[in-house]
Amino acid sequence: MQNLTDNTLMMQVKNGDLNKLGLLYERHKKRLFGFFYNLGNNPSVSEDLVQNVFVRILKYRKSYTGEGSFAAWMFQMARNVNYDYHKKAKKQRVSPGISPEDANIGSEDGLNEALEQQGNVFLVKKALNLLPVDKREILLLSKYRELKFYEIGEILGCTEGAAKVRVHRALKDLKTIFLQLETR
Amino acid sequence: MDQEKFEIQAMDFMSGTMSPKETKDFEKFLAENPEYDEKYKALLASWELIENLDTPEISPQMDEAFFSMLSDEMERNKKKETKKPFWDGIFTVFRPQLAYGILLLAIGLGVGYYLSSPQQPKPIETTVSNNETEEVRQKLVLTLLEQPSANQRLQGVSEANKFENADEIVIQALLQTLNNDSNVNVRLAAIESLTSYVDNPMVRQGLVQSIPSQESPILQITLANLMVALQEKSSIEPFKKLLKEKQLDTTVKKRIESSIESII
Repeated sequence: MQNLTDNTLMMQVKNGDLNKLGLLYERHKKRLFGFFYNLGNNPSVSEDLVQNVFVRILKYRKSYTGEGSFAAWMFQMARNVNYDYHKKAKKQRVSPGISPEDANIGSEDGLNEALEQQGNVFLVKKALNLLPVDKREILLLSKYRELKFYEIGEILGCTEGAAKVRVHRALKDLKTIFLQLETR
Repeated sequence: MDQEKFEIQAMDFMSGTMSPKETKDFEKFLAENPEYDEKYKALLASWELIENLDTPEISPQMDEAFFSMLSDEMERNKKKETKKPFWDGIFTVFRPQLAYGILLLAIGLGVGYYLSSPQQPKPIETTVSNNETEEVRQKLVLTLLEQPSANQRLQGVSEANKFENADEIVIQALLQTLNNDSNVNVRLAAIESLTSYVDNPMVRQGLVQSIPSQESPILQITLANLMVALQEKSSIEPFKKLLKEKQLDTTVKKRIESSIESII
C-alpha cells in the first residue's frame, strides 16, 4: 500500500514515471471538478480548469518536494488556476458569474421542482455565489472531508487553528445569506 | 469559553477529529450553554447544506483530453531522454578523467612555461646564424648568376628571392642580369625577383633604365605592367623612347601606349 499514497505516486511522477499521474487524476478529478463547479464555473469551464491543474502539475512536477500533503499542493494549484482564469476572463470582459446553464437549471428548480431538498440546493448555490471568493473557497475546501484542517491551512498559508476559525465564520456567513434568501 | 476557542472546538467536534475526552467535554459544554448549543446547531445545518451540494457528472471528454495530454507529454519526455543519455553518459563516465586531464594539462602548461622562460638568448643565436646563411646565400647567388648555364642562373635568381633584405650587391647583380642576360626566362625571373624590392629607389631606377634596352616583347609588357602598378612617372620617357626607336610588336605598342596613358 505504501507505494500507492498520493505523495509516493507524485514522487514517482516527479522522477519521470508520468504514467502514475493517471492514477492521481482518477483519484482527484471529481473533487477538483466539484471545487471548480461550486466556485461558480459552468461545467465545461470546470473541466478545462481541472485539465489546467494537471497540466500545471506536470509542468511544475520538479518543484514537488514531498513535504506536506499532495492534496494541499494540488488545491493550491487549483486556486491559482481559478484565479488566473478569472483574471483573464475579466480582461476579456466575459462575465465570470453564473453561466446560462446554471441559471436555467436554477429557474427550473425553483419553479417546477417541488422537492424541498432541491430547492435548498439551489438556494445554497445562490448563497455560495454571494459569498466573497475567499470564503467560498474555504468552504469548498472543507467540504471534502478528506482534506484535514492542517492541509487547508497549508493551502491558504495559515495555521490549522486559523483555518478552523475561518471555516467556522464562513459557514456562519453562508447561513446568514441562506436565511436571507429563504425569507425573501 | 471565548469565541475563537469555541469556533475551533466546534469545527473539531463537527469533523470528528476530537479525542473521546474532548468530545465529552464539548458535549457537556453545549448542554450547559444553550446559546452555544444554538450556535452549534446552526453551524451544523449550514455544514450539511454544503455537504449536500451536488456536482454534475464529468463528461468523458475530460478524461480523453487529459489522457491525450498525458501521452503527449510522455512522448515528449521520451524523446528528451533518448537524447540525454549520450551526453549524460559521456559526462558521468569521463567526469573524473576529464578533471584529471584538465589538471594535468594545466600543470604541463605551467611547467613548460616555467622551463622555457629562462632560455631567452636563443633568438640571438638564430639571428646570428641567419646572418651567416645570408652571407653564404649571397655568395651562392653571385656565383650562380655567373654560370654559363641558363638553368643555373635561373636557380641563382630564385635563390635571390629567399633574401629577407637583399643588399646592394645582390640588387646590382640582379639588375645586371636583367640588362645583359642572354636568356629571356632568366631576365623575366630577375624582374620578378626585383619586384620584391621595389621600395628601394635604386631598384626602381634600375628597372626604369632597363626599359629601352629590352628587346623581348614579353619583357617589355611585363615592365609596362609593373610601371603601371608602381605608377612610376619617370618611366614615361624611356617608354616613349622605346616606341620611337624600335620596331615594336603591335600588341606591345598598344599595351605600352595604354600604360603611358594610365601612368599619366
